[in-house]
Amino acid sequence: MALCMNRLNEERKQWRRDHPFGFYAKPQRNAQGVLDLKTWECGIPGKEKTLWEGGLFKLSVIFPDEYPTKPPKCKFVPPLFHPNVYPSGTVCLSILNEEEGWKPAITIKQILLGVQDLLDDPNPDSPAQADAYHLFRRDRAAYENKIKRIVRENPAP
Amino acid sequence: MSGDENGGSPAGEKPEGQAVSEHLNIKVTDNNNEVFFKIKRTTALKKLMDAFCERQGKAPNSVRFLFDGSRVQATDSPDSLDMQDGDTLEVHQEQIGGGAN
Repeated sequence: MALCMNRLNEERKQWRRDHPFGFYAKPQRNAQGVLDLKTWECGIPGKEKTLWEGGLFKLSVIFPDEYPTKPPKCKFVPPLFHPNVYPSGTVCLSILNEEEGWKPAITIKQILLGVQDLLDDPNPDSPAQADAYHLFRRDRAAYENKIKRIVRENPAP
Repeated sequence: MSGDENGGSPAGEKPEGQAVSEHLNIKVTDNNNEVFFKIKRTTALKKLMDAFCERQGKAPNSVRFLFDGSRVQATDSPDSLDMQDGDTLEVHQEQIGGGAN
């Protein structure tokens, strides 16, 4: 637990010092206005020169007590239309999976950049939701139109 | 001899838990240029925003300033936004949703 908090304090410090342009990542405040270091509100901009450019997608990052031994859970709020995002909004990505690519050295910056990459580079071999997966597979033009609409509905602030 | 080495002002107690100096260094970046400003905690950020625009030759209404993902208002100050020394303000081009079909 102490390890978890120390690491999260350090992550926030590093983020404030330097972070990729257009992203944000900050611990949430609870109803009493107290910082909750284990729940972060993050924003991921769509990458330039992709369908996702111009959009900003909100991600809730929830850290378990065992972090950084275990990875955080990343959840789009509201859930995002994307083949590798579960209907709940949870992101399915190898680096966020304890049994696969997670390593305690992975920083929040790397996680958010990884999720940004995933937006325009879905993996149809590991679908997490039916709607986005089927449209991506069956009608690419309709899929791209839908993404464009989602980007318009989620503009950067 | 009488400790004015630190620039004077024994200015009273610091708020608990954090070392607070009167000035902050703030980085302002538009992803191409970085400009560093030293600003008082209580000064309205409008001053810094105007200075950045002037230096970069941008019209103030052509850009928007973001801190931690939220839009900065001209009347906000480092104190009102809970800013720390070394924090960054991002400058984004103003945009209008829709229009492009």
